[in-house]
Amino acid sequence: MVPAQYYLVLSAAMFCIGLFGILTRRNALLFLMSVELMLTAANINFVAFSLQHGNLTGQVFSLFTIALAAAEVAVGIGIILVLYRSFRDVDVTQATTMRW
Amino acid sequence: MTTRPELKTDGNFLPGLIALALFGVFAAVFLTASFPDPAGFAGEGSITASIGYAMFNLAGGAHPSEGFLVAFEIIDFVLVAALAAAVMLAKTEEDGRIAGALRFDSDDSNDESAATRTDGGRDRPRSEEGR
Repeated sequence: MVPAQYYLVLSAAMFCIGLFGILTRRNALLFLMSVELMLTAANINFVAFSLQHGNLTGQVFSLFTIALAAAEVAVGIGIILVLYRSFRDVDVTQATTMRW
Repeated sequence: MTTRPELKTDGNFLPGLIALALFGVFAAVFLTASFPDPAGFAGEGSITASIGYAMFNLAGGAHPSEGFLVAFEIIDFVLVAALAAAVMLAKTEEDGRIAGALRFDSDDSNDESAATRTDGGRDRPRSEEGR
């Protein structure tokens, strides 16, 4: 059976790839994809420790996390649509001109 | 001339070093930690069926789990709220006019500049673009 460390390292790698995308990219759609990567990394941890403890709670909880991610993407796409209508662009740094 | 996908390198990669450093810390911690052997799901019985039982607080699952009926109901409301919010965001124009994707007969179809696009939005004329 695969040790828990490998799952943790995979999850950490996915989380850091998502964080890298958020920190370096300016496209709002890539932001959403990066947030999805980070949420999926948490799901991997849930399922890995579900196997580690022989308890199904983590697997069921990861299903709810996936549903929450779907809700988050629905709102995020709406926000990006409004951002595009206002600025004709999906660059997130454009929205800083809304400050006063 | 052929084109091919290229890695976009005009971004600022300096903040990305934070993510790389964080991965270094994570890997150092995880690889030095020790875990007991995974317990696994011993015994007979379908894991998928047990997940279904656990999601609705039903007895009869072959593997132990908590009940998630309340969380299931809450996520129901959250999903409905998120979808309603997404529709609201997508259909509201900047001038407050309702020109959503759910409206089929456009009243201002004679105005060429205000034609409703297929995504429900109205294309802004060049004169309105304030940069």
